Amino acid sequence: MEQALEAEGLGKRYGRTWALQDCSLQLPPGRVAALVGPNGAGKSTLLHLAVGLLKPDSGRVRVFGREPRGGPEVLDEIGFVAQDTPLYRDFTARELISLGGRLNRRWDAALARDRLSALHIPPDRPVGKLSGGQRAQVALALALAKRPRLLLLDEPVAALDPLARREFMQALMGAVAESETTVLFSSHLLAELERTCDHLIVLQTAHVQLSGSVDELLDGHRLLIGPRDAATPAGVDKVVRAAHTERQSTLLVRSRALPAPASGWTEHEVGLEDLVLAYLADAETREAETAWEVTA
Amino acid sequence: MIWLTWRQHRKEVLYTLIALAALAAILVPTGLTMHGRFEDTGLKACMDGLGTASLIPQTESAAECQRLANEFQQKYSSLAFVAVLFVILPVFVGVFFGAPLVARELEQGTHRFVWTQGVSRTRWALAKLGLIGGFALLVAVVYALGVSWWFTPLVAAVGSRMEYLAFDVQGVVPVAYTLFALALGVFTGTYWRRVLPAMGVALAGFTVVRGGIELLARPRYLAPKELTYSLLSTDQPNSASGDWIQSHGVRDGSGELIMPDARMGPCPAESACGQEIQSLGPGAHQWQLYQPGDRFWLFQGIETGIFLALTALLIVLALRRLRTLA
Amino acid sequence: MPVIEFVLDGRSRVATYMQLVLQVKQALRVGLLRPGDRLPRVREVAQSLAINPNTVHKAYRELELEGLAEGRPGVGTFVVNTLAGPSLASQGELREELVVWLGKARKAGLSREDIAALIDTTMRSDFEPPAPQDLAAPADSRGA
Repeated sequence: MEQALEAEGLGKRYGRTWALQDCSLQLPPGRVAALVGPNGAGKSTLLHLAVGLLKPDSGRVRVFGREPRGGPEVLDEIGFVAQDTPLYRDFTARELISLGGRLNRRWDAALARDRLSALHIPPDRPVGKLSGGQRAQVALALALAKRPRLLLLDEPVAALDPLARREFMQALMGAVAESETTVLFSSHLLAELERTCDHLIVLQTAHVQLSGSVDELLDGHRLLIGPRDAATPAGVDKVVRAAHTERQSTLLVRSRALPAPASGWTEHEVGLEDLVLAYLADAETREAETAWEVTA
Repeated sequence: MIWLTWRQHRKEVLYTLIALAALAAILVPTGLTMHGRFEDTGLKACMDGLGTASLIPQTESAAECQRLANEFQQKYSSLAFVAVLFVILPVFVGVFFGAPLVARELEQGTHRFVWTQGVSRTRWALAKLGLIGGFALLVAVVYALGVSWWFTPLVAAVGSRMEYLAFDVQGVVPVAYTLFALALGVFTGTYWRRVLPAMGVALAGFTVVRGGIELLARPRYLAPKELTYSLLSTDQPNSASGDWIQSHGVRDGSGELIMPDARMGPCPAESACGQEIQSLGPGAHQWQLYQPGDRFWLFQGIETGIFLALTALLIVLALRRLRTLA
Repeated sequence: MPVIEFVLDGRSRVATYMQLVLQVKQALRVGLLRPGDRLPRVREVAQSLAINPNTVHKAYRELELEGLAEGRPGVGTFVVNTLAGPSLASQGELREELVVWLGKARKAGLSREDIAALIDTTMRSDFEPPAPQDLAAPADSRGA
């Protein structure tokens, strides 16, 4: 199956620092994917590579099988909303819609107009004078008017207040339902992720820590609580995170099959947020150990 | 792209046209008066009559010419200060159009919007550069023609159009300066990424390059010519020759420069000044190093070529840099 | 105008799609939804709850698998079965009796928790073995 987004050994370097390194992932079409990780993890870099703003220093990235920098036709397939939703501040929403029509071969001006009118956004006021939430909605409407097959959003709600944030996610989810576009949006907020995304990519310190469909990820992980010093139950592929008290061990494990109920261990399902946090903390520990030259 | 460029730069365009109109409001009346007076007083006819030879015999008409020129100069030399303003105008056009072209996009992050639409960024850059460059070219040509026309009588009365200041605001070089300043602004905008620093650096860079080429390179585009003539002859330098005299003085018989920057005579041997000249010893003569006035267009061409080459280089560098920005 | 409107419990550990399924079933059980009714469109649900449309699809697919709903391409998803059954008619009467019984229980000094515990244990012993599994049981087995 042709992937909406595919990266192989993808890397980008600024000077000597790798902003993204050895990144391999696949995003099947039709998914709504969240790209999560702390600030500076490489989320923007990955999105910029995907939309062709940046050129990879290693590896490759493909959008529906084609290189994003391969030509403007590839850009026709991608809608992009950059961080802080930059728009020409002295342009009105109406002018921006007209501009989009002049810069794109495929352009659904009516779609953008209908969306903005439904949200009561004034068409003739410079967008610099709109609220942050309204501006984000204008940026989203412009990205959707391209009728993209892949929609990329860089921290679309980070700068918005809770109400505007909810309105934006409502608009986004409504648009996804209508257009069946594939979505990849970055966020450093974990709450409500479970409701909005069905695919997850976790980035930390320039590396992909976790990537896959949410259902598979949740199915493939378990929280095990058991006596300290007991042998790790059979069927566990990897212990992602372990915490110990004097008598008890709490393990977050990855397992292909459900581990057989071993004596003394109780098994719990893992929430998406806990899973993400466990992987982020694990990467952080490893990073610190490398930096301090300590062996685990 | 045309609509976008117009929509983004219409304010600058408007301000530029207003500035041009204001300039015309000053230049046209003063220029008409100057041209009228230049012809009415007979100065023009007189100077035409002197020809362009470097040396001419002392005649009444030459002396009359000198008198008329002095008169004209006294009346209008204060206007020459306006010319100083003309020297800096091209750089303003370049800096105000050039520096924000990329830097404003980067500063506001809108490059991430406009470069992810269905137009490649190279096409975006070429379209914007072409349109803005075309407009700047048009403005510069109008400006150069206007200032050249306005300045001609004053330059003719005062000295040579090859001298500093006069050379810089006439002919085709102002056009090249303008395009260079524009390219420099675009280039600094891709590196400094903010409008004000980009403008500042472009302004400083323009000053250094322009000053350097003007002071160090221009006097050497071609080897200057030497002219010597007897202090006691009846020949004198022709003020209508248009020669750019780079240095002059009095040398003695052995060729040693005994009086730098001095000009003596010519005067008859029996006069008081003739006595003084004879006291310098036999063979003392007047000497000057100069670029002949007929090299004006050649020099204009060379300087224009240099600046256009620099412009092209900066554009290429800016486009290469542009591809790496995100 | 959709017949029902979904709400989500943010603190619930129940998966989002299952919350939607359960709400439809609840509405079917009390007769709020009847065969022939159109369920809210996927887009409407996704937008109003700000949830992934794939989640709504998943919930509707689940209802289709259970034989409660049917998707008609281009038109929407419609209710084709009910969980109310014949019990709906007698529910009013049973409820009145229950209210009387609750009054008695309160008079006897039972607290809210006591009453809930009593009902719970009684139901468990009465329905054993095993407790009915609403979620998994096919709808037509309890059918009309």
